[in-house]
Amino acid sequence: MQRILIASDDEFARELIRLALGGLGAEVRCSGCGEAMESLCARVLFDLVIVLRTAPFFCGRELIGRLRPEGLRRPAIYAISWQQAERTVLSLLECGVDQYMTFPISLQRLRAKVADNLTRMRL
Amino acid sequence: MNSFYMICAAIAAATAGVLLVMLLVETLRRRRELWRNDILRRRYLHIVMFALYADDGAVPRFPMLRRAGARLLLAETLAGVAAMTYGLDMTVLRRIVKAYGLDRWLLRHVRRAQGYRRARYLALLASLPVDGTVARRVVHYGRSRNRSVRFQALAVRLAAEPMSALRLLADYAWPLTESETAQIMALLRRGVLPVAYEPLVASPCSNLRRVGLCIVRQFGIEEAEPLLLRMLADARTPELDAEALRTLCMLRRPLIRREVRDCVGRMSASERRVLLRCMVCEDYAPRFLHRIFDEGECGYYETMVKSYKRCLA
Repeated sequence: MQRILIASDDEFARELIRLALGGLGAEVRCSGCGEAMESLCARVLFDLVIVLRTAPFFCGRELIGRLRPEGLRRPAIYAISWQQAERTVLSLLECGVDQYMTFPISLQRLRAKVADNLTRMRL
Repeated sequence: MNSFYMICAAIAAATAGVLLVMLLVETLRRRRELWRNDILRRRYLHIVMFALYADDGAVPRFPMLRRAGARLLLAETLAGVAAMTYGLDMTVLRRIVKAYGLDRWLLRHVRRAQGYRRARYLALLASLPVDGTVARRVVHYGRSRNRSVRFQALAVRLAAEPMSALRLLADYAWPLTESETAQIMALLRRGVLPVAYEPLVASPCSNLRRVGLCIVRQFGIEEAEPLLLRMLADARTPELDAEALRTLCMLRRPLIRREVRDCVGRMSASERRVLLRCMVCEDYAPRFLHRIFDEGECGYYETMVKSYKRCLA
């Protein structure tokens, strides 16, 4: 079974995304954004990590370094945040974040993207 | 005398002990209430999401709604779902709001509350799918002395009557702040308001122009450049010239133009420095700056480019 991690300090947003991704046939886990996320990623290899926060002055490289073991292309990383600054978005994408979406998001679109990603990984 | 002091000390110790126990009990009670609220909020979110995906026309039943604070939790849950998403079927949320009388309940609280508490209830109302009746009942809060209340009343009306958005914004007599414009943009991103930047930027009303400029910046609409240059040349709303220049900067358009030079000439020294910081942020080359700015300002720009502040600007 494929594994998805939703990382956010906002429990409401985390739960909202978790419910939106229900029924995709993947195991969905939730965690906070800091050490909890890192330790969980160190123990379990996820197929997809959805991070629901990017702080100002936040470098994408740090995020990728924490979540993706060196030399691997897994897990795919989606970042969803209220930030729209082009610089932040570009730095995240250049560092290897696979998708960047801004709040408010379309839950149907997110679900479709995640389903598509999981299918591609399965093949 | 000794026994008197001992009695006093014993009374003081007992009082301190009782106070500590009361503090502990209160802390535990509050923690327990927060924990219960968290569980209830999660249950409400589950029910709302299930109703959204099932969409069978039925109104879902929410448990423990008679408990103190439960109705507020339900309103916050619905507002949270509506604020974080777009493209959801709003009829389901509207049905829940109507069936449980959340709009009337919030209006009652708006009437009883004062100041920022009133603004908070209005902000919740603005996030819920409410109809024109509610919008008409908050009109008089638009004349409140409290800035937040005034703006949240406008936000309720914008959310309830999106077709009249331009008129409502034009009639709003106070200049919108950055955060208020951002809240309007959030409504726009949810698809509640129309994204038509041209009539906004070309409008004589400064609030409409401000929202138009914000749309251009957020969506990176490069086609708006001629409109921005015309706005700078007209100089009809001098308070927005700096914002129009900042917008041009953020679009990374060339700034060596007559309109820009004239506008920079009309700006104060502090406004020019703000513009320079914005230009540093957008990586403008310093070598053409002397055509717009004086020597001191060019030096300031170069110092900024070379300093660590560039990363923070």
